[in-house]
Amino acid sequence: MSDAALHIDGIGVRFGGLWALSEVSFEVERGAVLGLIGPNGSGKTTLMNVISGVYKPTTGEVRYGGHRIADVPTHDVCHLGIARTFQIVKPFANLNARENVAVGAMYGREGSKRSTRAAFERADELLEVVDLARVAYRRASDLTIPDRKRLEVAKALALDPEVLLLDEVMAGLNATEVEEALELLRRVNQRGVTLIVVEHLMKAIVSISTCIVVLAEGRKIAEGAPADVLASPQVIEAYLGSRWVKRQAQLEQIELERREAQHMPPPSPS
Amino acid sequence: MTVAAAAAALRRAGLGGITGSPLAFAVVLVAMALLLAVPFAHNGYLNNVFRNILMYAAMAYGWNLIGGYTGYVSFGNVTFFGIGAYSAAVLSAHGIDNLAAGVAVGAIASAAFAVVIGIPVLRLKGHYFGIATLGIALAVADIVANLDALGGSSGIAVHQVDDAHFSIYYYAMWLVALASILGTYAIARSKLGYAFVAIRENEDAAAVLGIWATRYKVTAWAIGAMMAGAAGAIFAPANGFIDPSITFATDANVFPIAMTILGGIGTVAGPFIGAVILAGANELLQRYFVKAHTLFFGAMIVVIVLVLPRGLVWLFGLRGGLRAWAKSLTTYKA
Repeated sequence: MSDAALHIDGIGVRFGGLWALSEVSFEVERGAVLGLIGPNGSGKTTLMNVISGVYKPTTGEVRYGGHRIADVPTHDVCHLGIARTFQIVKPFANLNARENVAVGAMYGREGSKRSTRAAFERADELLEVVDLARVAYRRASDLTIPDRKRLEVAKALALDPEVLLLDEVMAGLNATEVEEALELLRRVNQRGVTLIVVEHLMKAIVSISTCIVVLAEGRKIAEGAPADVLASPQVIEAYLGSRWVKRQAQLEQIELERREAQHMPPPSPS
Repeated sequence: MTVAAAAAALRRAGLGGITGSPLAFAVVLVAMALLLAVPFAHNGYLNNVFRNILMYAAMAYGWNLIGGYTGYVSFGNVTFFGIGAYSAAVLSAHGIDNLAAGVAVGAIASAAFAVVIGIPVLRLKGHYFGIATLGIALAVADIVANLDALGGSSGIAVHQVDDAHFSIYYYAMWLVALASILGTYAIARSKLGYAFVAIRENEDAAAVLGIWATRYKVTAWAIGAMMAGAAGAIFAPANGFIDPSITFATDANVFPIAMTILGGIGTVAGPFIGAVILAGANELLQRYFVKAHTLFFGAMIVVIVLVLPRGLVWLFGLRGGLRAWAKSLTTYKA
């Protein structure tokens, strides 16, 4: 028995002739904060869609609590305890913020136990948690982009998840807001929710993650503790390019040669 | 400050929200109470006019659940009205003239048809759904016109109770309209209503929040079908005769949609307000312009949709009066 909450096993996703993901495998420990990083187009969002049951993988499977996610209809994934946010936010534009969150509280994992009133009370609590109580009665379409991101998080939390997938919820936030968002995620994690965080902000992801998985061109190229992963040559290459790595190597070579040249005695005339 | 505070208190009490303006809802209830008085005029013509308004209101509420709340624009809801009417006619042919029995059978038959048709058809989205429902409406009308058991295209007589002013049918229709209004209100105050609206706003996001879209779309269509079916089951004996061209009429299909849009799509008060105005206007135009009334009627709908795209109920919630409305004309974005 491993303590893993989520098993991601040999996932491949093909769109036409393009493999957006291939042979991606890792496990997520219960209570962990897993950072999922990679350059643009590396397949992070696709993987989030597979884990949340929106896409069916071409190969492999995601298992959670004895269920294969691919066998579970999208609307039942949240009842298993998996919730997600969307990178491109999908609010219910004509409902206010409070109603947006309440819908999650009505139909999520604990939804069947809640009355309409209880769902709205839960929504009020969560709006407080994500600092949206100030715009609770504003239509979602009238919210600012950072507020819409907060709303996404509140809606996902309203599902009472065990595993929360966060797709770039910090993009577009300023430094203070990122700090607040991280604080919020830590609090959520301390309540026992496993987090899978996709983020471009390296500083943010390093500070919160217990483990990092790096994707590049649809493959997993590194996995491990944040510091180790970021030092790995493959990751540097994926982010900064092979030319950069080659050039670094050339510079090192030149430096080496220069040093050698300095230490070596000048060639003596014969 | 007091207005804002009162509005905030109403919102906290859960009023407003997806029911639409509470004030507009109150106006509808008062109007319904007043409509109870119509039969006291002992005027068969008036009873017919107002019974038609109530009938269209019930059909508009039926359409509002799927088209307004759930966002699936159906052009086939007249089918449910027809199924209700023919259910009552068939019962009557077998010697069962009980209105309540007709309404029950008509509503249940319509809902059953909505479930059977809805499970495949509600997988379609947007225009495709609309076209499919229109096709079904035309097909059902043609099938009925060719079924000798139902009188074919020449129709079928329905037994009428002996009532000089048709007051029984008037009150029965009033009850069906009231049930449609209160039913819609109850749905809009419940979790069910929020499932419908979530599907309308974004079906994918709704699914991620645990809403099984197919189930709730079929539910919305079936409940709406019951409203139209019940109205049809009263119309049949009230009219004394039905045939496919009456029960599956284009008017009966389009009017409820126009009424809901005029009154306020996806609100509790909208369909009633739209039904009173459009059915009333249609009646008057028909009286004074025997041939050209449809022209005026059509022009009226166009103008209303242009100047009031969100319906009359929206005006109830508008702060700033006429100036705010004028401003909305220039800044409205679909």
